[in-house]
Amino acid sequence: MAGGGAITTIDSGIIEYAIFIVLLPMLAFPIILFLGHIFNGNQTWVKSAKEGGLIALPIMVASFVLSLLLIVEFIGASQGEYSIGTWLSFGWIDANTMEIDDMAFGVGIYIDHVTVMLLFVASFLCMLINIFSIGYMNTDPINDNRNHRFYAEFVLFCSGMLGMVLADSFLWLFIFWELMGLCSYLLIGFYYEKPSAAYAAKKAFLTTRIGDVFLVIGLVMLWNLFGSLDYDVVFYEGNIAKVDPGELQLALGMMFIGAVGKSAQFPLHVWLPDAMEGPTPVSALIHAATMVNAGLYLVARMFPFFANGDMAGELVDLAFIIAAIGGITAVMAAAIAFVQDDLKKVLAYSTMSQLAYIFTGLGAALWLANTPGKEKYAIVAFGAALFHLFNHAMAKGMLFMASGSVIHEMHHAHHDTHHHDDHGDDHHDDHHDDFDAQSMSNMGGLASKMPITATAMLVGSASIMGLPFIGGFWSKEGIIANAWRVALEDPRFFFPAACVLLGAAMTGFYMSRMWLKTFAGKPKTEVAEHVHEQTPWIPIPLVVLTFVSLSSVILAGMMFTHWSSDTGYAFFSDKNLIDGMIYEFEHVFLNPDAFFFVLTYVAIFIGAIVGPGLAMALYGGSLKEGEKAKPWMQPIVNLSSRVNKKRGFDNSAWANSGLSDALRERLYFDKWYDAAMLKLVVGFANISAAFDRNVVDGTIKTIESTSQKISTQVRRLTTGSARDYIMMAALGVLVIYLLLGVMI
Amino acid sequence: MSTENEFDADMIETLGPEFTVFVGLLLIMIVPNLGNGTFRIPGTSIRLPWFLGGTRYKAVASPRLPGLLAVLTMAVALFQVVWYLLDASAADSKIISSENGIEIFKVNMFSRIFEAIFFAALLLAAIASLDRLPTGSQKSDDIDVLFNNRRQADFYILMLTSALGMSVVALAQDMFVLFVGLELASFSTYVLVAFHKETRAGSEGGAKYFIVGSVASAVGLYGLSMLYLWAGSLQFDALAAKWAADGASSLSMMALGFVLVGFAFKISAAPFHFAAPDAYSGANSPVAGVLATASKAMGMLGLMRVLLLITVPDADADGSAIWVGLLGVLAAVTMTWGNIAALGSENPKRMLAYSSVAHAGYMLAALTAIGAWNWGLVDNGGDAMDVVVAALLFHMFVLVFFKLGAFLVLGVLEMEGGASRLSSLAGLGKREPLIAVAMFLFMISLAGVPPMAGFLSKLLVIMGIVEVATGTGSLSAIGDAHWVWWLALLMVINSAISMFYYLRIGVVMYFHEPEEGREGALASGSSIRVAIALCAIGTVAFGLYGGELIELCRNAADSLQ
Repeated sequence: MAGGGAITTIDSGIIEYAIFIVLLPMLAFPIILFLGHIFNGNQTWVKSAKEGGLIALPIMVASFVLSLLLIVEFIGASQGEYSIGTWLSFGWIDANTMEIDDMAFGVGIYIDHVTVMLLFVASFLCMLINIFSIGYMNTDPINDNRNHRFYAEFVLFCSGMLGMVLADSFLWLFIFWELMGLCSYLLIGFYYEKPSAAYAAKKAFLTTRIGDVFLVIGLVMLWNLFGSLDYDVVFYEGNIAKVDPGELQLALGMMFIGAVGKSAQFPLHVWLPDAMEGPTPVSALIHAATMVNAGLYLVARMFPFFANGDMAGELVDLAFIIAAIGGITAVMAAAIAFVQDDLKKVLAYSTMSQLAYIFTGLGAALWLANTPGKEKYAIVAFGAALFHLFNHAMAKGMLFMASGSVIHEMHHAHHDTHHHDDHGDDHHDDHHDDFDAQSMSNMGGLASKMPITATAMLVGSASIMGLPFIGGFWSKEGIIANAWRVALEDPRFFFPAACVLLGAAMTGFYMSRMWLKTFAGKPKTEVAEHVHEQTPWIPIPLVVLTFVSLSSVILAGMMFTHWSSDTGYAFFSDKNLIDGMIYEFEHVFLNPDAFFFVLTYVAIFIGAIVGPGLAMALYGGSLKEGEKAKPWMQPIVNLSSRVNKKRGFDNSAWANSGLSDALRERLYFDKWYDAAMLKLVVGFANISAAFDRNVVDGTIKTIESTSQKISTQVRRLTTGSARDYIMMAALGVLVIYLLLGVMI
Repeated sequence: MSTENEFDADMIETLGPEFTVFVGLLLIMIVPNLGNGTFRIPGTSIRLPWFLGGTRYKAVASPRLPGLLAVLTMAVALFQVVWYLLDASAADSKIISSENGIEIFKVNMFSRIFEAIFFAALLLAAIASLDRLPTGSQKSDDIDVLFNNRRQADFYILMLTSALGMSVVALAQDMFVLFVGLELASFSTYVLVAFHKETRAGSEGGAKYFIVGSVASAVGLYGLSMLYLWAGSLQFDALAAKWAADGASSLSMMALGFVLVGFAFKISAAPFHFAAPDAYSGANSPVAGVLATASKAMGMLGLMRVLLLITVPDADADGSAIWVGLLGVLAAVTMTWGNIAALGSENPKRMLAYSSVAHAGYMLAALTAIGAWNWGLVDNGGDAMDVVVAALLFHMFVLVFFKLGAFLVLGVLEMEGGASRLSSLAGLGKREPLIAVAMFLFMISLAGVPPMAGFLSKLLVIMGIVEVATGTGSLSAIGDAHWVWWLALLMVINSAISMFYYLRIGVVMYFHEPEEGREGALASGSSIRVAIALCAIGTVAFGLYGGELIELCRNAADSLQ
């Protein structure tokens, strides 16, 4: 089943150069590695080129600018989707005609609204994180002389992410997906001499591998159904109509398992918290902003299958599974985040939980798309899910970078307070004592000392919590509303819908807890008193992202204008942005439907008042005497202190309960998995090793030694005497005549 | 098709490459001898300058001059051949005939592509030999140096004569002309093999090669005389007509058998291959490389002419040629024997010799398939035959790069000491990373690993055989296929066996420590490295972009009929 034609092909304009978005970082990879190898330790290299950071930065800026131009061109063209033809094609020899068959598979670019969203997120955050890395990595003392490796792997990773987003077939998506997997392994294990980092890298790699195996199976099944993996072919309505829905659902379900692994969802979520062993920019890049979104992107890519008229009602089970996995993970991860003491781990679990939201949103959107008569809602729900992806990526990228800023300054403050006397001391000393720069128990009261970081953290947390008017609020409301909209139609969806509503309150709690423990209250250690912001590179991305999160309503407006009209459901006759924004306001706050009206305010109430209120009661506190935070943070600190004094209660009963212990142990998933691995996998490995040693090797060795023996015998016939050679030739002549004689 | 029968400018144009080789030959003989020599008119004291002998001019006295002349000659000849191949308008064949109408030469794509193979191999070998033969200062009084300098010209003259002989074989339209060319090429190679007569291996290998080769030639000539007795002519056309009219008689079958023996020795098919390992290991490595590629292609060419032009398949019960069974057995025995013997060889040159025996087996298998081409299953026999012939031509062409390349790498080692033990290669990965990489490429190409040229050629041959055996490919059971299918299977199995000894070279190069006293970089020699680089590029390039060459081979295969 070849040939498609669903997609407009355009071959002029910026899109001609779109391949450079991917190629530039990919080409920078060997260059940085090579230069770093040559100039390792050279002062100019360290100071002026920041060990490759300033080579990577222009590349990432160029990639971002190209992406932006491409997006502008796309929005201007107001085309549903388009792609560019093929740059490379690989041929194969046809056995019968001995001629070269062209176009066995090719490389191209495919662009629609999903691409555009992800492309912006990926290229924008890659650039900002690059800036952040220059501040973070190059002052980290244990990174002496190997940051070029970081930057090289960083750009390769970015090219993988951008390539995956721009790919025009599931095959190339998978290739870049694996490239990211490789880079994530390398980056998580950047401090490979630390056993925990090496272990975390291995764990991340193996866990996502489980998902990837299923993804390959799914892709093979898809190939079987369509005879191609090109979007052009598989998204073509005529082709989808010919496919058996049950088989298609199975294939997509297999691919979804791949997405579960990559996006760290239950039950393949165990790798993400451990992956925080990597340097903080890596956490920001891979585990918040880009790679974990790959799984979401893959699910979002399945939309055309669900929206196809011939599939109506056939794929709702898969949509439910997607939403249910999201619901489970959202609550589970949020609960575990309650008890985490490590700043980055809280963010890791928060990431899992928020990604789960998006999965639920996508599940709801896919359900709506697959149900006749609901297409209009499907587009809105789909938009809300992707919009949450955007908001979450921005906010979480910012939060990770802010946490990096805190950790970085804690390190330096620790270094200054403890090694004041002997400055010539070895930097590596830092890592031999017990001080944990990531533990929130060592922080507190940093709001006055790190104003930019605290502000960024505040806005980021607010965006994740969904405080009204800030970032994630708009999208989270959409996800909750649409999950309930489906639940009203399909009772199964009550489960994920209830989960995401409960999750909103939990998010409010753990995000507030994190902020309060870090920035409010009195400094809990001597180190925390000496913290101050000092590196110029780190605050830049924080400030930029703060404004992006605050202004996300503009994008919400765009969703209702460009997005919906491009996909065929015009809310407005013209694409006026202000109309879109006003509609969004009305839609959220003054929903005409009584059910959704109440639902909105319930969600706001539990997410913005109940959750943070509890957190304030438990962890609130005023700053040290005489210190004042910035005017927009001081009221919050004061409020928390007042709530804490008034409503504070002793939570030791809870803290010592069995559930709390279970949460600290991450609900025992890791233990169970380890035990299962030891029993099953190692056992099977032993059996297969024995098989390999005895049967496979044994056979091969027997063949080898036998043929060596034969070889010796055969070569003995070559006596070295010309007389014998002629004898053999004469014998040969006789044989020839015998054979010819038989013929006659 | 046009005919030339006068010696004029037209003929020179038609036989351009051959005249180039001939002129180059004369130049190598004359130019190094130019000097201020004089000639005294007898009975007087008048001395006339005649420019030969005496004190040689400085410009021509360099001992490297003959080598450079030979390289230049081969390059120009190769260029002319390639020009002909790529020039679409020249695709018609031209026939050179004598005054009484006997066709002597035929110039077409088929003969020219063989000449391209010969000239490419000889060019690479000539380039590589520039460093291989020791030369010394012209002023030196050392008798060895003087002797070596003198021998330069001999070596390249022999190379050019073998080139001339091979091109005569390629063009010949008459069995006798073909035989003369074959002997010209053979005698040159006999001497080339024994060129290092100081070493025991060299003289011994050369002598054996000569003795066994002479016997084979004699047998072949005997077969030719029988053919003449039978048909009254040795023209291919006349023989083919006679064969078509009378079919196989006992006289013609006997003659065919003897002629086959003569060619089987050239391609070193079992059991006529015994002298080959001795000859290869005794010969200079570039010369051994020529034996394994150009010389083998020459034998193959003769076989194809005899088997495909004269003894075309007749329309008996299953439409197969009369020699299908014979060739099938020969192919099976040859490829298996070569591979098994190569498995245990500790001498890399002997290993390569046996591997070249195995490759001869693969080629014979392809020929066997052609012999079965018009049996029932194939709708369009002519096409199928073209496919296999093209595959065969492609195989012989790319073989030049990786087989000769492998010998050249051994040649570099020989410049330093011996290359007669596997351990001579040890540690090459560290000593000369580039050469080791090239050698590894040659090895995996010989083994048939994608994306090397060797993979593509082997694949084409196997696919061709399978296509002939299964026809349209819609068979219900393997039992329905022609038995040549089993030859394809045997080829696959043999390729798997051959992996072992090819990859062992890689293991030795990269994982074994160098021998005592052989650490560090190898002896210098830029031209042999250039030749190796050319071979490596060809090996990879024709593997990745073989399409054009395959197309060319198809055209050549078309022009055979």
